[in-house]
Amino acid sequence: MFKKVLIANRGEIAVRILRACREAGIESVAVYSEADRQALHVRYADEAFLLGPAPSRDSYLRADKILEIARKSGADAIHPGYGFLAEREDFAQACADEGITFIGPKPSAIAAMGDKMTARNTVIAAGVPVVPGTEGEGSLSDSELLAIAPQIGFPLLIKATAGGGGKGMREVKDLEEMPLLLQSARREAESAFGDGNVYLEKLVLGARHIEIQVLADTHGNVIYLGERECSLQRRHQKLLEEAPSPFVDEDLRRKMGEVAVKAAQAVDYVNAGTIEFLVDKDKNYFFLEMNTRLQVEHPVTEMATGIDIVKEQLRIARGRQLSYSQEDVQLKGAAIECRINAEDPYNGFLPSTGRIAHSLLPTGPGIRVDTGVYPGFEITPYYDPMIAKLIVWGETRAQAILRMRRALEEYKIVGVRTNIPFHQTMMDSHRFMGGQYDTRFVEERFSMLDSEEGREVRPDIAAILATLVAHQRTQRSAQIVRRGERDTSNWKWVGRWERMHR
Amino acid sequence: MKYIATIEGKEFTIEVLDENHIIVDGQALEVDFVSVSGQPVYSLIVDGKSYEAYVYPAEDEWEVLRRGHMYPVKVEDEREKRLRAAAGGGVAETGEYHLKAPMPGLVVAIPVEEGQAIAKGEVLLILESMKMQNELKSPRDGTVSRIRVKPGDSVEQRATLLSVL
Repeated sequence: MFKKVLIANRGEIAVRILRACREAGIESVAVYSEADRQALHVRYADEAFLLGPAPSRDSYLRADKILEIARKSGADAIHPGYGFLAEREDFAQACADEGITFIGPKPSAIAAMGDKMTARNTVIAAGVPVVPGTEGEGSLSDSELLAIAPQIGFPLLIKATAGGGGKGMREVKDLEEMPLLLQSARREAESAFGDGNVYLEKLVLGARHIEIQVLADTHGNVIYLGERECSLQRRHQKLLEEAPSPFVDEDLRRKMGEVAVKAAQAVDYVNAGTIEFLVDKDKNYFFLEMNTRLQVEHPVTEMATGIDIVKEQLRIARGRQLSYSQEDVQLKGAAIECRINAEDPYNGFLPSTGRIAHSLLPTGPGIRVDTGVYPGFEITPYYDPMIAKLIVWGETRAQAILRMRRALEEYKIVGVRTNIPFHQTMMDSHRFMGGQYDTRFVEERFSMLDSEEGREVRPDIAAILATLVAHQRTQRSAQIVRRGERDTSNWKWVGRWERMHR
Repeated sequence: MKYIATIEGKEFTIEVLDENHIIVDGQALEVDFVSVSGQPVYSLIVDGKSYEAYVYPAEDEWEVLRRGHMYPVKVEDEREKRLRAAAGGGVAETGEYHLKAPMPGLVVAIPVEEGQAIAKGEVLLILESMKMQNELKSPRDGTVSRIRVKPGDSVEQRATLLSVL
């Protein structure tokens, strides 16, 4: 039974885990890079230790340093969060060797699901359908891949063997463009994961990305907590998730849930995990992969089921039984999560960096914000652009959408550009409202210029606002230049003027 | 002071009389206009109706973001507008284009060479930031000149990376 948990992560997920520890009365240890000295997770933890310079490889990926800090601080458990070391079996094994509880699955399960071939073969044996491809056939050379590609058929996807999150992923329309795309996929995979190996996979058209959350304890109980709809993606990065999926009925949910449980049992899975499926328009589902960790989008499941997944993770890691049986799990209402990224939707979604000067969080009924930033915090180019997750719950999906619209309007972040306008446009899209979308929707049929849902457009108000701001600036600079007209110093005058105009 | 605000071709003539009074296209309005805690978030009350928006300065115009809608607004006083009319307007497709880093990052690759002819939309440079590789493309046809960075370089925002003649 552990007493002190080291959180080997940063940002909103470190804060999320810290909160669960605090609620459970467990002591917490934060680790941080030089760029994160002022981060929220450092401030909220009972103890905090510096890992090293800002780049991940010198800080959050330094397994050796993290274990050393665990020893030094007396932490007897480590929660890896997501990303970084979360799916590294060698790290889980190193924890076990040190007698530290790794809050996650056994190293053997991480290895089995992390290795594509084993994962595929294991789930096929358990009776789970998979997408055709070369996944699991080892590291093939470019010429081998080019030879196999026509057998799989186009369009197909190049994916990084060590991958995730769309890095090192390319879509190939025909054989001709494939060599160049292989090259750039390998380059990106090499830089993101230190492993340039790739594999091919058939592209399922009109596909939805739907995943099942499972929880498994050490007593052999495995349950599923329903599905999450994650089809709204851009460059294979999820942008918005919801639970339940508007596409899944009770029957499909039960079938996919039971298959997910089988897949988890096939690798002796313990703790929280997620089985990702591609679902085609005829409701055929194919196993994609298992994420052997907590997911970014876990809050939508928490909101829709009322189950605190991180709390259950701690409970499972302490060797106790799950608090729920399958019959206890009921979906109530609908939850939506918008990932708030420091990206400018009006400028090709380019990352935006800078200091957060001002931030006003949405509050009120049914709203949850998971974030690791606050005014004064610097958004650096070193980590993920995700700065917050805005989650809402409503009695119905329609109410959740109305609530999300309201919350997005309330949410003000100044200092960096964010993708909030993207989400606002999405909430107004008829196809989104009707639940009619697949994984290609954002890239192929969605435009920031669409304003379908009779959104109030007021160019006159925009004109007045811009003119008044321009006028104010002209006046201000004119008055600063005109010397000697006032008896006080110009600087003092500007200070007063600014205070007056707050 | 009289201004002309242009949004996507539509012009508004706005005269600012004093802090609380303006005339928009001949109609007098009473306004109450404040910046929210000194930030580019502005609150405007016009005849009892309350509006809130971000107003960002852009290159030579303003960007007003309200309720998920972006309005690009060009604001000129009458003198500026006359000057522009006299100059003829329109940005020429000639002259030097300087590719600047849209954000700080790491130069991953430069798939072009100095002196190479390139077409509009061709990738000039790959810049990695926030773990994503961003392809920076040429806005027009031309010839690559003066590459100022090399793969592996860290660059600041707005740093000039290379030029297109």
